[in-house]
Amino acid sequence: MPTVVLMDASLSMTRPVSLEGSEEFQRKNLAVHGLTMLFEHMAMNYRLEFTALVAFSSLWELMVPFTRDYNALQEALSNLEDFDKTCLELALQGVSTIMQQEWGSACPCQLVLVTDGALGIGRGSLRHSLATLKQRGEDKKFPLPFPFPCKLYIMCISNAEELQTTDAMDNLEQLLILSGGEGQIFTMEGPLCLKSVQAMFGKLIEQAYMPFHAVLRCGHLTSDVQVFPRPEPVMIDEEVDPVPKHVLTELEIVGFIEIADIASPPVLSRHLVLPIAVNKEADEVGAGTTDEMEEDTSTNQMAGKSPNFCVLLHGSLKVEGMVALVQLGPDWYGMLYSQADSKKKSNLMMSLFEPGPEPLPWLGKVSQLGPISDAPENPYGEDDSKSPFPVQPKSKRSYAQNVTVWIKASGLQTDVQKILRNARKLPEKTQTFYKELNRLRKAALAFGFWELLKGVAELLERECTLLPDSAHPDAAFQLSHAAQQLKLASTGDSQYAAFEHNITPMLTDFSGGGGGSDRL
Amino acid sequence: MRMFSVSHKTVFVVDHCPYMTESSRQQIECDMLTKSRAQGVIPLAPVSKSLWTCAVECSMEYCRILYDIYPTRKLVNYIVSDSEFHILNSWRQEDQSVQELMTALAAVGPPNPREDPECCSILHGLVAAVESLCKITEYQHEARTALVDLADRVANRGRIICLTNAKSDTHVRMLEDCVLETIQEQNKLAAGSDRLMPIQQCELVLVHIYPQGDDTLVSDRPKKEISSVLSSEVHSVRAGRHLASKLNVLVQQHFDLASTTITNIPMKEEQHANTSANYDVELLHHRDAHMEFIKSGDLHMAGSTSRDSGLKETVTLKWCTPRTNSVELHYCTGAYRISPVEVNIRGRSMRSRSVLLEQPRKSGSKVISHMLSCHGGEIFLHMLNSTRSTLEDPPSISEGCGGRVTDYRITDFGEFMRENRLTPFADMSLDAAGRPPIERAKAQLERHTRYWPMIISQTTIFNMQAVVPLANLIVKDTMTEDDVLTCQKTVYNLVDMERKNDPLPISTVGSRGKGPKRDEQYRIMWNELETLVKTHVGTSERHQQVLECIIACRSKPPEEEERKKRGRKREDKEDKTEKNGKELEEKMWTQDSDRLKGAMEREKEDQSESEVIKDSPDSPEPFNKKPRLATEEIQPLEKSKGPVSLFSLWTNRITQANSRKHQEFAGRINSVNNKAELYQHLKDENGLDVHENGKATR
Repeated sequence: MPTVVLMDASLSMTRPVSLEGSEEFQRKNLAVHGLTMLFEHMAMNYRLEFTALVAFSSLWELMVPFTRDYNALQEALSNLEDFDKTCLELALQGVSTIMQQEWGSACPCQLVLVTDGALGIGRGSLRHSLATLKQRGEDKKFPLPFPFPCKLYIMCISNAEELQTTDAMDNLEQLLILSGGEGQIFTMEGPLCLKSVQAMFGKLIEQAYMPFHAVLRCGHLTSDVQVFPRPEPVMIDEEVDPVPKHVLTELEIVGFIEIADIASPPVLSRHLVLPIAVNKEADEVGAGTTDEMEEDTSTNQMAGKSPNFCVLLHGSLKVEGMVALVQLGPDWYGMLYSQADSKKKSNLMMSLFEPGPEPLPWLGKVSQLGPISDAPENPYGEDDSKSPFPVQPKSKRSYAQNVTVWIKASGLQTDVQKILRNARKLPEKTQTFYKELNRLRKAALAFGFWELLKGVAELLERECTLLPDSAHPDAAFQLSHAAQQLKLASTGDSQYAAFEHNITPMLTDFSGGGGGSDRL
Repeated sequence: MRMFSVSHKTVFVVDHCPYMTESSRQQIECDMLTKSRAQGVIPLAPVSKSLWTCAVECSMEYCRILYDIYPTRKLVNYIVSDSEFHILNSWRQEDQSVQELMTALAAVGPPNPREDPECCSILHGLVAAVESLCKITEYQHEARTALVDLADRVANRGRIICLTNAKSDTHVRMLEDCVLETIQEQNKLAAGSDRLMPIQQCELVLVHIYPQGDDTLVSDRPKKEISSVLSSEVHSVRAGRHLASKLNVLVQQHFDLASTTITNIPMKEEQHANTSANYDVELLHHRDAHMEFIKSGDLHMAGSTSRDSGLKETVTLKWCTPRTNSVELHYCTGAYRISPVEVNIRGRSMRSRSVLLEQPRKSGSKVISHMLSCHGGEIFLHMLNSTRSTLEDPPSISEGCGGRVTDYRITDFGEFMRENRLTPFADMSLDAAGRPPIERAKAQLERHTRYWPMIISQTTIFNMQAVVPLANLIVKDTMTEDDVLTCQKTVYNLVDMERKNDPLPISTVGSRGKGPKRDEQYRIMWNELETLVKTHVGTSERHQQVLECIIACRSKPPEEEERKKRGRKREDKEDKTEKNGKELEEKMWTQDSDRLKGAMEREKEDQSESEVIKDSPDSPEPFNKKPRLATEEIQPLEKSKGPVSLFSLWTNRITQANSRKHQEFAGRINSVNNKAELYQHLKDENGLDVHENGKATR
């Protein structure tokens, strides 16, 4: 989830903070101090996050495009100049553009807005933007909510009391609601000083930038892992079940499935699963090995050299072309697989399925998946030549069956022509003739289209009269029999118009001996 | 994503009164005479559908699309109304299919034109529809039961689609009032019942159908709130294709559908085999499949065009050949069931498993945005991610924890994964302990991993073919008498190996110089085997028997060994060089040869060097870790002739690799210099020890 830091560089940020001490700070200095702390934390613990820095006043500027180079961000921050008045709407528009250009419109993002709470005056001020919200055309819409999901963290370099003396707090709250309600407004507690700004950014880090640590477990094989980016809580149905679901910190593998069987399933999000070294006594010394390791290796190298389950799992998943089904919570599953970034690099990845008992129709209910050893015979075959997947749906879809639709005249005409075509090839096509005839009959009965039944009966009778002398005698019998049956059905008489009833070929002396006629 | 939104329950109320027998006046020529037979034949008069037929077939089409895209959870209740109401199906899932409704409709038949029009009214059906909406569905019941105290979170909403021929706008208002009144009455009734739920929200969609050529007596009216529970809209439509396209638009609105047209689908039919004929298919699906286009405002850029049905647009995507490889895992952000707009055109190619779809762009660049994929006869439109990944350029797994370890048991774990593959079981198939299949899968993983060393150099027994039968059986939940026997045989076989002083694949990785002595090797092996079996000893009496067998058969009690081992460690180190050589040479099952030893040792050194450089787990598994069980006959000959050739080194290596793939013949395992003695038991009975004599290395 990329982060955009939107830094207020308006003149009001240069307001000095009243302090008893010797040094005089501007609000901007406090803001920079707080952001430095955030960047340092990210460089240490949240290194893979892409972050961009945007400064704004009445205009906005992308100071640092999305990067993992936190030094670059830090440097740009310290070289930040002061500009004129605050105009948040334009800046938010800018953020929207930057985000979509880089990540498209589906990638969730975190926006850290750092401001002193002086949100401008007159046109372009937040107050003005919010007041005119409803009087805008399609082309001048307020940028919030963004097309992509966004968490908005507003870092106020001022305290709540100060914000409440004006309507700043109300406006910011309204902004947060507009953005979709995800996020929070942070204010400083007590006097404006380095300590309180640290406390405020500390809270932000706590809330949004703490690495997600978990234990990956496969029976007794385990590994401590970091899951990046942090899996977000998911809401299934805000009405029936309004409590968001969280990924558990114990990720339990329940079994394995071939990649072809899982078949590119839809996922909510993807995450790297990175093994981490937890400061524990290395007690994993096996039968007679690692007796005399060099003592002076750093912990990192030590960690690299002690076997880790993630690496084993990754290697085997890659070689076998399989995924591991992993349980994330009650009735919530995901999959682990090897993802190649390039030819050389590959990684263990985890994708989250939609929460629920049956996230993928072609797997069926996950709770009904069990070990192959419980099956009477191996469902994969002795030589892996078959597979129990995909699970067949209980009923067929319309495109997988012979559905009759006559909404367009051509549909009906085709069906009638099919019958006539076969009628002319009786008795060779007896079976197909009756099959098509019965299909038409069923549809006509269901649609209450008795007129059609009469019409087709007449057509068949006419065909009968048009039969050439060379025609097989059975043809005439079958045609008049079929015509008669259709006529009977068109009366609605329950004896002949029953839906499940089928017109069967007339048994004639000829059909029994059957010179070339297809048997029934 | 609300489960119990208005579209959870849809009631169709179709007018079955005598006036519905009136012709739609849309004529269909079904006697298409072929030229050759046209002479002198009077063509059949064209047929025309009645208003009833039009209403029924369009409502069936609505249901077909609905059931294709939502096979469950979106329910239809079909009611026809004449002098009374006829309910054709229930809310139950098994009643939800087009076939079911068609059967019921055939039984009802077209309206009876001779029925007294005074007795007939659509009102009977509308009242029944409201009553039906109050009835609880199995999904509502399930959700309420699960929520217990919070059962009121389960909402009851629904939609009534009424297909009728109304007299006037006043008549329409009368119908609306009647529905509202009935809702109020029924809600009172439902409040006191367990099987009924009051209606919180009801959408009434009145479709007035009139014959072609007539003027309508009813005016269109957009959706309007009549009260807090009821909203109503009126559509006045001519029968025939206008009605069909109206209901097509409605089903899209009601179920959030959108349209995609797939172009460039290659013809597969024989008559087109030599041409490059292509065709198009229009599909409906949930509109989220267009999420990326909608959000980015790309809908027009993506080649969307207005369809003749008006209102809605279709997005054009191009069929890409060749098909995608099914073993590739695409990053897919959504998969949506589809329904073809015209079911008569059955895209044959759609039955193939997966096809990538390309979004045409003005710039001419190609973007694969979707994939059409068939799973068990159901076709899904997968939405693929085509934007930059936030996870790009991650640190490789080989750079992290455990990344420098080179001898993971990748192949063994692969085998483990195959054994722990999942398979679907029938609903409610619990085992004796009442566990659902997934819990049994977890339990199996637990059993199989009680003792599972991750790297080759941490284990001896898993590098030995001889242990395989026992290792496979001991993890089982229940062992048969035969299984126990097999395990015991395995143990006896190991005892035999020890007696013969067969070499073991003890790893020397991590320790300088040579590995431990032969008797030490066996002690390590026995200890490990005991560790494995001990983790399963609590499973059953029979598992216990296996452990007892091991304890009884192995040479020394483990405690004593441990003490000895510690005492001996120093002494071991001293003669490592010599021992290592011995071990290698013994692996070859040949007599002493300095040159061979040297060559092998060099090879081994090279190998261990390369191991350090290479990345795990992609590097090949280090060889030479499993016992050499067989050698070609030529080897002893080759070796005695002089320096070891590259060829013989290679042959050795291949032979060794091959030997790992099969279980060796018992005869060859027990053979000496590749000669197995027959009828050994006879000699044993005579008290002769043949094995010691045959051994040339000692």
